[in-house]
Amino acid sequence: MKLRIALIAVLCIGLVCGVSMPGSRTYAQGNRAASTAMPKITVLNPMGTPPPITLIPQAPRLDTLDGKTIYFINTGYIGTDRLMAEMMDWFKANYPKTNLVYKDNRSGAGLSEVSKELWAEMSEKGDAAIVGLGH
Amino acid sequence: MKKPAVPLILNDFEKQEKEVATNLGMPNFRIQYFRGPVWGKTREQLRKQIIQGNNPISGKPVMTELVGLLTKPLTAEEQKTGEIQRDLGPRTYTGTHDELQKLFLEKRYTDFLPVVLPTEDKVAEMLKFTSHRSDEVLGRMNPGSEAGETWTYTVKDAAVNAVMAGAKPEYFPVILALGSTGMTAVNVSDNGFMSGAVINGKIRDEIGLNYEEGAVGPYAHANTTIGRAWGLLSINGGNCGKVGTTYMGTIGNPMNLIGIIVAENEQRSPFAPLSVRRGFKEGENVVTLFMGWGILSAKNWAATVWGPNMNYPEIIKEIYNTQDGHLFGTCAVLSPPIANFVKDAGFDTVEKFTEWVTDLKPGAKPAARGPEINMGVRKTGGVFTVIVTGGSNNNYFSVGGMVPAQSVQIDKWR
Repeated sequence: MKLRIALIAVLCIGLVCGVSMPGSRTYAQGNRAASTAMPKITVLNPMGTPPPITLIPQAPRLDTLDGKTIYFINTGYIGTDRLMAEMMDWFKANYPKTNLVYKDNRSGAGLSEVSKELWAEMSEKGDAAIVGLGH
Repeated sequence: MKKPAVPLILNDFEKQEKEVATNLGMPNFRIQYFRGPVWGKTREQLRKQIIQGNNPISGKPVMTELVGLLTKPLTAEEQKTGEIQRDLGPRTYTGTHDELQKLFLEKRYTDFLPVVLPTEDKVAEMLKFTSHRSDEVLGRMNPGSEAGETWTYTVKDAAVNAVMAGAKPEYFPVILALGSTGMTAVNVSDNGFMSGAVINGKIRDEIGLNYEEGAVGPYAHANTTIGRAWGLLSINGGNCGKVGTTYMGTIGNPMNLIGIIVAENEQRSPFAPLSVRRGFKEGENVVTLFMGWGILSAKNWAATVWGPNMNYPEIIKEIYNTQDGHLFGTCAVLSPPIANFVKDAGFDTVEKFTEWVTDLKPGAKPAARGPEINMGVRKTGGVFTVIVTGGSNNNYFSVGGMVPAQSVQIDKWR
């Protein structure tokens, strides 16, 4: 009995997998391809190396704006002068005891970094700075 | 100065600015965001939209929030010191072809097109075409400004990316020469800058660069895969091309995908090759990098009127005089027939032609002309550059804004 079952099973497997009818070959081949596990390969990470990052604590904040001097630094992006003029008007209306200093740091060639001289002046005479426009 | 400073930045740049602040060691840096743009608006518009408006990220009024950024005490996070550990993932990945393609796509190692997976064997084959050590630092790159970190990459990193681009190993010295400059192929600028390169010398024929019909188009294996390798090296080696942080083109620039890799048609050009004009020997293998907006057919300009009689030098000069040369000058990419029209008009060198087009003596800087604009001084035409490439099947040429940067010897990277 066991031998008969085994024989029938073998024949059935043969019918399903081994007999190729016209039009069914691609399917059978496709099945074989799908049932064959794709080989695993090892590839390299393409990334370069970023620099280390050292955390820097931010500067302490002001307890009040009254009596303090805020520098408005225009680094040169188009329209910053108009925006800062509006901001300064707002501060004048809402914080009348705050001193406002506007500095045009434009180099004439577009966006510019704040100059060393200006940083030095702000360190000596200013209490805070608003810098713009970073787009 | 150890005093509080708050930058003003459009909310569209929040992701980028957070990354920049983190890279500089202040991941929680206080920034005042508002909705832009600012450029082009009247004071009244700025008052209504920004001064009286809200920060679209926090939803809070801009000006009271700004006061808070200057006065609210710092949190513990804002006062942290120490180091941030970087995790770049493992040096290798193992999986099936499909799994790895998916992984590379998800990790943004690609330009969104399938890549050739960089197995150790393929990378080793690429490295055979240079005498340089694989662990040698090839270059340092950022996306074109302090908006991104400066990353370091080795010769082997370049080989990995060259394999991914589908480049043949014999192209590798050109790719190394490009990578050695540290100039990105994919600039961060919101203006949408592109990069390109002009290749001169015998290597053009050795590696099969196209400089006949279709020279500036994408359908040449060497030109295309060299450009793509430079782009992928920029993405992976220089952390460039990440939309929202290191790629901020308002519109973008399709030329960022493979750049413009031009081999000059030295055989059919009546002029000395660009490399020779830049001080290298005739026949020397040199790559000259370019940056700019890109190029378009000269027919894009009204100066180009098709008719039975064509005065090409005058057309080029008129186009030059209508270009804003402020950032990238004027670059004329001439097909050999156009270059020969120019020569036949009496300009037997590019220098003579340049002097006539720009009204400048050689070596002189273009004078400021035209209206002044806030970002600087508009210089009509600017630096004038001539490249000769392409076929001889018609009288066509292209013009654009592209300015030459460094020129690098290729053979020292063999």
